[in-house]
Amino acid sequence: MAGNKNKDKEKILMVGNPNVGKSALFNRLTGADATVSNYPGTTVDYTKGMLETSEIIYEITDVPGMYSLEPKDGAEEVALKILENNRDATILMVLDATRVERGLYLALEVIERGYRAVLVINMIDAAHEKGVSVDIYNLQKILGIPVITTSALSGEGLLDLTDRIRYAQASDIELIEKRAKGEVTEEESKGGCAGCGLCGGGCI
Amino acid sequence: MTTPTAKRWEIVDLIANRTVTAGEYKPSIKDYLSELTVKPLTGIPVALAVLYAFWSIFSSFAGALVTDGFMVKLFDNYWLPWIQNVWPNPDSVLYFLFVGDPLADNCFEAFGMLTSGLFVSIGVVLPAIFIFYLMMTILEDSGYLPRLAVLMDGLFHKIGLHGYAIVPAILGLGCNVPAVTATRNLETKKQRFIMMVLLAVFIPCGAQLGIMLDVIPETVGWVMLYLIIGFCLFGFILGKLIPGGNPEILIDIPPYRRPALQNICKKLWVKTKGFFINAIPFVLLGILFVNVLYLLGVIQALADLFAPLFVTWFGVPKETVGPLIAAFLRKDLAVAQLSTIAMTPYQMITAVVLISIYFPCVATFVVMLKEGVKELAAAVGVLAVIVFLYGGLIHLIGILLGVA
Repeated sequence: MAGNKNKDKEKILMVGNPNVGKSALFNRLTGADATVSNYPGTTVDYTKGMLETSEIIYEITDVPGMYSLEPKDGAEEVALKILENNRDATILMVLDATRVERGLYLALEVIERGYRAVLVINMIDAAHEKGVSVDIYNLQKILGIPVITTSALSGEGLLDLTDRIRYAQASDIELIEKRAKGEVTEEESKGGCAGCGLCGGGCI
Repeated sequence: MTTPTAKRWEIVDLIANRTVTAGEYKPSIKDYLSELTVKPLTGIPVALAVLYAFWSIFSSFAGALVTDGFMVKLFDNYWLPWIQNVWPNPDSVLYFLFVGDPLADNCFEAFGMLTSGLFVSIGVVLPAIFIFYLMMTILEDSGYLPRLAVLMDGLFHKIGLHGYAIVPAILGLGCNVPAVTATRNLETKKQRFIMMVLLAVFIPCGAQLGIMLDVIPETVGWVMLYLIIGFCLFGFILGKLIPGGNPEILIDIPPYRRPALQNICKKLWVKTKGFFINAIPFVLLGILFVNVLYLLGVIQALADLFAPLFVTWFGVPKETVGPLIAAFLRKDLAVAQLSTIAMTPYQMITAVVLISIYFPCVATFVVMLKEGVKELAAAVGVLAVIVFLYGGLIHLIGILLGVA
């Protein structure tokens, strides 16, 4: 890490339900020695690693899997504590493309607490196999945060993800609700779009 | 300002309706397989077959193939005679510490740091750890473990736990250190406490299993049987004694996946590296420590002090006090040391069971301390009682069977 002293350092927390491939994604991003498992609640101690991009060095924490921010067991308590101790961190919200609803619930909880977040829809290959597709353009518009699809297994979408972490956004639950209902004016709908370039600049 | 749960789900539904489309889905072979391995009627036979296969591969690879087939010959025929020859002055203290008994013709009995220490860690435990984690990784990466958890749920509920407890239980067969951490997945304090006590007392670690296979291959089955019975018996008692409920919990079952070779290699590498860094120094230092205690006469004094308890209550020779002290450092070491004491098969079984249950090794002790000082103190109290009761009970069974 010598010679990088003048780069900014930022904290990233990877948050998501158990079994969405957080640890696999973490390994891909950091190249670290985190173990990849899929039995219930493997990551009970958190793991840290570094991701270096051209401008920023990120310190990534692989937070234990959780279903909601109201903890039910020790692993979720650990997870919540990490979140509360890092109010200024960027959140990588990882969810399973085949179970978007469950992941969205946690994502909304995180967004409500004012974190800057990026939504990662992982396991997109498994979703395609099952015939599930996610309209990420629309999802991004409604949530007002960048949405990226990835497959930690094949590495698909990883470059895109590292590229767009810096566009993480805080969003507003009330606006999200309005946009989900289709009740917003053109002006409001521009709200939180992350400048991701996905819409060809049309939404900024 | 937070949104109520129901409202939040409403928003989730709204968003999902606009963005997620589910195509037509036809169940695949994986889904049928998943069903077969979760339903008790077909699942239990499958689970028994899987666990039996696990054990057979473990014992034949670690015990018979690598250790007996290769390591024993290497260490006993070449390494031991060589170091006994080149190390000067067999009467010196250094010879006793590093090479051990000058007349020994095998590495189990020499008990020096460079003879038994290297043999136990590299010759016996390393292959056991390696094959254990290889199979464990395949089980977890394929997605079988959560299904086993579902199947075990009924049994575990009877002992105050639920199906999730199978994860720390199986992890504990590798090493108690990650297993204690994994108890955090259990929902209530009561469950965590029960699991921690049962782990510390009744689950022998991979290192210990490996050495048991090698030292007492014909009786290891009995030892395991005693441990399993003890696990269920004391789990049941603790479940009744400790106040608090045992809530149901939903278990999340991921789909079956083919384990990725890269992941398997990575995990194996991490575990094996961990063993070299964290365990091997402990074995070597453990031998050194025990040998120093022998030289100073401490072990003899302790053996005399505890002789009544050991001989009358547990029915084992008082020499087993030494191994029990070594067991705090490394349980594999302690079993190796037991092998040099003259005992009847039944006394051997009792002694090995005692080593398993008597106290967590120092590494487990430290992680338990991290989970809470009060919990650790309570656990130590409970396990002292269990050791006393269960050790006595095994002796009693032996007396009744006429073998003790």
